[in-house]
Amino acid sequence: MANIHLKTALDYIRRAPFQALSAIGVLTLTFFVATMMAVITYSSGNLLKYFETRPQVIAFLKNEVTPQDISSFQNKLTNDTRISEVRYVSKEEALSIYKKATTDNPLLSELVSPEIFPASLEFSLTNLSFAEEVINEVKQEEIVDQVGFTASLGGESTLQDVVSRLKTITWYVRLGGGVLAGMLGAVSFLVLIVIIGMRMATRKGEIEILNLIGATPGFVRSPIVIEALIYCFVGVVVGWVLSFLLWLYITPNLISYFGDIPILPKATGDFLILFGIILAAELVIGSALALLGSMLAVSRARRAR
Amino acid sequence: MIKFKNVSKSFGNIKALEGISFEVEKGEFVYITGPSGAGKTTILKLILRELQPNSGEIVLDGVDITKLADEQVPFYRQKIGVIFQDFKILTERTVRENVEVALAVTNVPQEEWAGRVNQVLKLVGLSERATLFPNQLSGGEIQRTAIARALVVNPKLILADEPTGNLDWETADALMDLLEKINKEGKTVIMATHNEMVVEKYKKRVIKVKEGKMASKEKAPHMEKEPKKEENKEENEEKPKLKVKVEEV
Repeated sequence: MANIHLKTALDYIRRAPFQALSAIGVLTLTFFVATMMAVITYSSGNLLKYFETRPQVIAFLKNEVTPQDISSFQNKLTNDTRISEVRYVSKEEALSIYKKATTDNPLLSELVSPEIFPASLEFSLTNLSFAEEVINEVKQEEIVDQVGFTASLGGESTLQDVVSRLKTITWYVRLGGGVLAGMLGAVSFLVLIVIIGMRMATRKGEIEILNLIGATPGFVRSPIVIEALIYCFVGVVVGWVLSFLLWLYITPNLISYFGDIPILPKATGDFLILFGIILAAELVIGSALALLGSMLAVSRARRAR
Repeated sequence: MIKFKNVSKSFGNIKALEGISFEVEKGEFVYITGPSGAGKTTILKLILRELQPNSGEIVLDGVDITKLADEQVPFYRQKIGVIFQDFKILTERTVRENVEVALAVTNVPQEEWAGRVNQVLKLVGLSERATLFPNQLSGGEIQRTAIARALVVNPKLILADEPTGNLDWETADALMDLLEKINKEGKTVIMATHNEMVVEKYKKRVIKVKEGKMASKEKAPHMEKEPKKEENKEENEEKPKLKVKVEEV
């Protein structure tokens, strides 16, 4: 039975190819932008998360502290809900970090030994607003010599400034993307309704005959709904493929530009999973758009009769 | 099978039908005749539930169809085969597809389609034309396509609205032969026509309407068998060969 409805829907598309092309064109543009915005939102989220989870506080430990003291302090920090990602950095590791940072000037690293670097506990804050109180509390600890708060990232005065600026940018990107995708979605919805409405008008005679020979409303509606689903399905797939190709093209440059910041998955599998999830979500949204648009157009046409 | 009980229908101030009552038995072939605008098509539209009467009852197989819920109407219509004066054929579908649509509408399993379609196309003589589109057919062939579509669902009732109206005499003759054949297979046929020649040649019971009122009606066969009342006795004796009684309304 579905065959006859599918065949009818394909006949309609064949008979009015320009209506079909305009519907598919608008839907393709919508889902192209939607895919782009989804990936940008994902990347900006990752960028923000990266900076938010950088070690923001470094508690430099006194030289005489024992491993038990360190372990006990580390556990205390780990159990604190305001704190995340606690990491112990030994004197040796500190030297190696220093050496890495001064590779362009080997003389600087030759002159130092691990003894001059204090061991430290680095950690992030779940929210930067906790910074002041956490630092003050950590300073009270006996084994802590000094507390450092990460600063001077790029041209920003503090990490907090960077994160807060990133948050603002991310918010605007998400809002702008959402508004743009929403507007395009609304236009697609209207175009779909108009085209299906035109289809209903041109099929008026056929619908009348079908009604007279006992077709149920569902029977009359089915080819129209299938036609709308075809438009949305093609629009989603083409829009997604175009966007996917564009991201494939620019991803290597983006990854090399952002270096360690994982704005996009580096592993092919993860990259495909990300785009697979976006495609699945868009297919669901596209189907909902098609069903809603066609039902609305059909009910309007029935009311008009 | 069908009973009209005092049915009236108006369109605004225009009274299309007024106090129409008649009965049609199962397996009967009945003409509804009258001049253009008499209300013949309105009667068929009322039977098809395309229109609702302003008053009266229309009973089909014991069910008052005027009281059917809107969602039940499609299923009711699926039991009726309709042949329209203007054919009402889907112009962008082939003869076969036009007939198949009726099967699709009535949810007949697709594996049964080919057999049933071939059978009715053979009956109406369109087997060779199955793949043609309506614009490649003559008027008679299009009308036969409509008949095939009406028959394929095996309806118990066939409504034919001026089926010979757009046909030449020879084609109309062939069509009437076909309708007679269908009727002999046990299907009830109600045919609206103003074609006197058809009514004369293919003698059947006639229900006459004029200006929306019953002009005359011949009784359904089962009513003929009822004991005749005393007052009608003389009249019946005078016209022993006339099987039906004419009533002036």
